[in-house]
Amino acid sequence: MTTVIAVVEDDPDQRENYSDVLTAHGYEVRTYPDRPTAEAAFNLELPDLAMLDIMLGEDMNGGFDLCMQLRNMSSTLPIIFLTARDSDADRISSQRMTAWDYITKPVSLEFLVARVHALLKIADQLQTAPAESATISVGSLELNENSMLVHWKGQPVNLTLTEFWIIESLTRNPGHVKTYDGLSDVTRQGLVERNTINGYIRRIRNKFRTLDDSFDRIQTVHGTGYKWEQDST
Amino acid sequence: MSANSVRASGRLTGTKKSGATVPTIRPGLKIRTKLLLLVSFLLVIPWMGYESVREMEKFLLEGQEQALELTTQGISSILGNRSELFDSEIGVSELAGATLPNLIKEIDEPLAIDAPSEIWAQAVGEMVNFTGFGLYECGPDYRPDSLAVRHAMSIDSTMIFAYFEIDDDILVFRNPDLLSLDTNDQIRLTIQKKSGEILRYLLTPEGPGRLSIYLMKSNWSEVVDGEALREIAGTIDPDEYGYAVKLRIPIAFLGTGSKLKFEIVDVDDDQTREIRQIISTEPDPFLHKFGSVRLVTPALAKLIQPVYVSEANIMVWDQFFRVRAQVGSVFPSIREGFGRSSDEQSFLSSIEDRFFEFFEWILRNPARGMADMPTDSSREDRRLLNKVIGDGVAVSERRRYGDAKLIVTAAPIWAAGQIQGAVLVKQSANKLLTLQYETLQRFTILFLGVFVFLAFAILVFSTRLTYRVGKLQRETEQAATAEGRLLKDRIRAGARSSDELGSLTRSISALLQNLGQYTRYLEKLPDTLAHELHNPLNVVNSSLENLQYNHQDLADDKHLQRARNGVGRLRSIITSLTEAASLKEALTQEQEQAEPINLPDLVRSCVEGYQAANPDHRIIANFKDFPAQVMGVPDRLAQMLDKLIDNAIQFGTPKGLIVVNIQPSGEGVDLAILNDGPPLPPDIADRLFDPMVSSARDARKTHLGLGLYIVRLVAESHRGVVSAQNRGSDRGVEVTVTLPLISNR
Repeated sequence: MTTVIAVVEDDPDQRENYSDVLTAHGYEVRTYPDRPTAEAAFNLELPDLAMLDIMLGEDMNGGFDLCMQLRNMSSTLPIIFLTARDSDADRISSQRMTAWDYITKPVSLEFLVARVHALLKIADQLQTAPAESATISVGSLELNENSMLVHWKGQPVNLTLTEFWIIESLTRNPGHVKTYDGLSDVTRQGLVERNTINGYIRRIRNKFRTLDDSFDRIQTVHGTGYKWEQDST
Repeated sequence: MSANSVRASGRLTGTKKSGATVPTIRPGLKIRTKLLLLVSFLLVIPWMGYESVREMEKFLLEGQEQALELTTQGISSILGNRSELFDSEIGVSELAGATLPNLIKEIDEPLAIDAPSEIWAQAVGEMVNFTGFGLYECGPDYRPDSLAVRHAMSIDSTMIFAYFEIDDDILVFRNPDLLSLDTNDQIRLTIQKKSGEILRYLLTPEGPGRLSIYLMKSNWSEVVDGEALREIAGTIDPDEYGYAVKLRIPIAFLGTGSKLKFEIVDVDDDQTREIRQIISTEPDPFLHKFGSVRLVTPALAKLIQPVYVSEANIMVWDQFFRVRAQVGSVFPSIREGFGRSSDEQSFLSSIEDRFFEFFEWILRNPARGMADMPTDSSREDRRLLNKVIGDGVAVSERRRYGDAKLIVTAAPIWAAGQIQGAVLVKQSANKLLTLQYETLQRFTILFLGVFVFLAFAILVFSTRLTYRVGKLQRETEQAATAEGRLLKDRIRAGARSSDELGSLTRSISALLQNLGQYTRYLEKLPDTLAHELHNPLNVVNSSLENLQYNHQDLADDKHLQRARNGVGRLRSIITSLTEAASLKEALTQEQEQAEPINLPDLVRSCVEGYQAANPDHRIIANFKDFPAQVMGVPDRLAQMLDKLIDNAIQFGTPKGLIVVNIQPSGEGVDLAILNDGPPLPPDIADRLFDPMVSSARDARKTHLGLGLYIVRLVAESHRGVVSAQNRGSDRGVEVTVTLPLISNR
């Protein structure tokens, strides 16, 4: 059974390029230029993964609306936002709708395919059986590579795929500095500015702090990067 | 050299942008001064008023003169061809008297012959002085204390009353034992009848009281008739200085057309009884003529009485220059007097008085001029009458006696082709001048009031205007920073006012709103642009990747590589655009995340990272550690430092040295980044910290000139100040960020 990926993108060139590369990697790609056609198709059959642009023609938040609709239909469907919009508000909105990832354009197709792979794998894992075995514990932090689940002091932390990768990379060598370049590779977005990394770290910290006010494990090493501080106890 | 040093400040106290051209301001006055100057032009009004009143005075005086001329001519024509009025037969008897200035005073009640001298003196009115100077009878050894005479007469319907006050050192009465009558102090009365007959009467005292009166022969020593005369009655009252003589003569006794002469004879030696001095009422004793005779014609007086003119004196003269009738006086009656009663002396009225004194000092009050008005102007009158009666022309003239002004007109009276007399009318112009003076006074007070009110109103108005303009100016200046960034998009002060200033305020508000919208548009432009560019960039990028994926053999194709490089550069441009655009918003949101940071620690750790990341350059933290706590967001300060280092590397020499220095500076701390690059280009030096300003000329390097702009944004959000200057030596630029220290509590 082929994996079906739905691409909702109003720009035909981009749509076709996504479609081409994903098709070349063996996925079945169904493309939709706007919300009504996508909605209609989703009502008939759910895809295995959805890639949504937020702005669909005149429909400023068409992608968000579609995301909500899909999430109502399936709680485990991987949804990726692939958009030119890069504001915290949009990122928070996508998070609230439990999108799995939020990638800003321009995106490297190579990394896009990698992400799709990763997300499908995680979705697969979630559907079959959450494997306890893959869980790593770093002090109060628990993270499961397979299911992309992160717990801080027993409470789940809702992270996007990119954020998960950053945490995973930081906690792999606790106490060691992860440079900006290293983190840039981890985000799998091609060339990433320091400021973008800072933005990710800031959002990750905020997510932890909503659960735990005193969260201070991610330390800034100014001019170099970040490190995960070991639990002192 | 100013271009080599530039400071951009987040505070309003920053200096004016040197790039803005300020027009040279012409020296001039402020609005308030201008308005007050304009008001001072109002001072022309009192001058105009004064001039017009002066003109009016001329005009009025002419009018008065003309009116007076008309009156004079009217009177002269009324009296014309009525010779009977000038007939010497008409009226009372002629009375002798030399230079009595006025007509004999008429009294209603007869005077009693034995009434006290004071009553007589009062009744006869002003007396004429006769002295012996120049008189042959008195001789060169004449002394006034030895003999002087004051004399006046009055008249009622039947009697003439003559009154003498005689100063005489030694009063010698008649000795009844002596036969001769000319051996004591006596009064001689000469009456010339109309027929020419001359009668001489001697009035001689034998002691105080009644005088004995005898008809005398021409030698004044023998009586014609020994019988004393009863018709004429007289008394003598010795007093301190001499004696007073009261004399009563019936008019009927004199008869019509008679002339009178009095001679006062002085005898001082009781023994020799020589006549020492004689004073006569005759004007010219040598001619032995009787004095100028004064006649009054009641019919004439009655005729001219109705044409009484206020403050005017009307006189009718006959051709022999004798006054025949007189009405009125040039002096105002007491009732019309000028003096203001000063019974109440309140504070206000004393101020008023002070003001009037001041006013009279400026403009002479004509009422005071009345003091200069002469009581006797007969000499000038005589001169005028000579002309009128001699030439038969009407004459008018204005006379000035000090401050007194007199208008005099005279016209001849004709009867059957002959000049019979003249009418002389004198009127004081001071009444008119007084009116003028009062007009000026009222006008001045009114004007002063209006002027003070206007000046005050304009002062208030202009102060308010200046205040409003100043407020508008302040608000307008505060609407934008020295760098031209808008701080507010409307001006509230006076925006609801309906006048032009309110309209200007609204215009400026609208302008600011438009500018604000445009500025917001401009600020959003990079973001919008970035967003719009992302999609085509994504098309190009994904297409290139697809191309490479589908044609693996092209992986090393140089053109494909270049296309990918181009996409990469485009991408970093867009990223930096969005970075700067979103930074402002982010900075305001992050204000509360500020925490105390030890700046040297932060900078040192950063510099280590930079050195690791840029092995080609030497980046040195050239400072000793010292505590310098600043309030800030560490990530943003690191970001600022990133940009500073990036900038220093980009504009420094390849493999050059970059020095980071920190030192205390007053209330704050200076963070300086020094490189060894070329000096700042003067043309952009003052805009270095503005967005999109860069001196980069290398087309293959991406530089939007946003780096130092971000530095400025971060520094300003930390209440810091940025500046850049060339280093003293030829090469090298120093960029300094001054941040405030946390004040020690």
